[in-house]
Amino acid sequence: MSIANSDTTTFPNNSSSSTSLNTNLVENVNPQVSLNPATALEKYKKKDSSKVVVRFRAIGNAPILKQNFYKITASNKFQAVIQFLRKELNYKASDPLFLYINSAFSPAPDEIVANLHKCFSTDQHLIINYCTSAAWG
Amino acid sequence: MTAPQNPITRAIWDGTLPIKLSLDTTEAAALGAKTIIEPYFIEAPRCSYFPLLTSQLRKYFGDMMLNFIGDDAEIWYDVDGTPLKWHYPIGLLYDLHTGYRPDSNSPPPLPWSVTVHFKDFPADKLIRAQAIDATQDFFMSMIKEADFLRNGSTKKVMNLSKNDQTQLWDGLWSKNYDRFWSVNYRLVMNDGQMPRHIPLRIYLPDNCPVLQEPVSPLDDNGNPLTLGDVLHQILPELFPSSLPSENSFAAPVIHGVIPQLDMPIVRASQNLCYPDNFLHIVVLLGI
Repeated sequence: MSIANSDTTTFPNNSSSSTSLNTNLVENVNPQVSLNPATALEKYKKKDSSKVVVRFRAIGNAPILKQNFYKITASNKFQAVIQFLRKELNYKASDPLFLYINSAFSPAPDEIVANLHKCFSTDQHLIINYCTSAAWG
Repeated sequence: MTAPQNPITRAIWDGTLPIKLSLDTTEAAALGAKTIIEPYFIEAPRCSYFPLLTSQLRKYFGDMMLNFIGDDAEIWYDVDGTPLKWHYPIGLLYDLHTGYRPDSNSPPPLPWSVTVHFKDFPADKLIRAQAIDATQDFFMSMIKEADFLRNGSTKKVMNLSKNDQTQLWDGLWSKNYDRFWSVNYRLVMNDGQMPRHIPLRIYLPDNCPVLQEPVSPLDDNGNPLTLGDVLHQILPELFPSSLPSENSFAAPVIHGVIPQLDMPIVRASQNLCYPDNFLHIVVLLGI
């Protein structure tokens, strides 16, 4: 009798706990279902309009810039940095110019400045070394 | 020299894609084709690069009496009008451009149909290579960038002998697993030291900018972070949880498979990275 009693008392408890579990599940699932992947993507598609500081350092016999640090829009590709530096130096497309991050590697022109800044900046500055012959090839 | 045995890196290295390469029809006529030019079929390693296929293609289409005297670097590839970045690994380009989810019920789009162009290089969309060697330069730069993320310097790569450095690229183009992995093993295992950051990039659909962030392999308490944790941190809207069951609509794809989300990210990096040492993760939505 006492066993049956304890059974009957635990049974409703169990069922109520499973109901609350179900509710939890529904609550957890709902926000996901209502989340529209397209809207989530919009956020990542937005161009980062913030600016980051890049600091140029000449290596070897490369000409030195009068001003060596500039603010550059973070969503730009590294290609924009290369073009900017060429313009500042009055270099033609045929003049050899090599750019490196932290005297270590040369990013591809389609890498995004924001990513490079997040990963490789020193004291909030992205340090770019430039020279007229390959240095850390 | 033989590389340490690892069935995962071996399987990835051996992964290939059947590709059907067709010549752009208007170009074929302009290049002097008098008959229909049959496409070229090739089984390409997923870890390789399109410029490494170019010389074979040039020979094949050259034998068809095509009159092309330009440089190999002028040859480019597109899929449905979108030029393919020649400095991305072929497997990454396939996962990215087909958007094929390995957990879907439909068969994968194979062979992969790619169009070859000998003219009108889209310099506004693709990087113009000065020479075919550019692929090697870009590849080595990626390896250095990965080393910088792991160690805060490129000392590990720079300390490799000239011979070992060359062996990385030679092993890749000659499809010699042992040559490549006997050197690369030292880089990806980081001499047994926990890397500062994991070299990884995330690719989203619809031309979203590529994501690259400094990703720590450990949490604040020194516990290993999983692939799911990392995706949840970087893309909370697409991965509302780091647990597999709760992520129904977004799936990460690496080398054409959906990896386990509970795998520690450092292990994912050591085993699933491309030869350029980066973990290239394509995120696909819906089935």
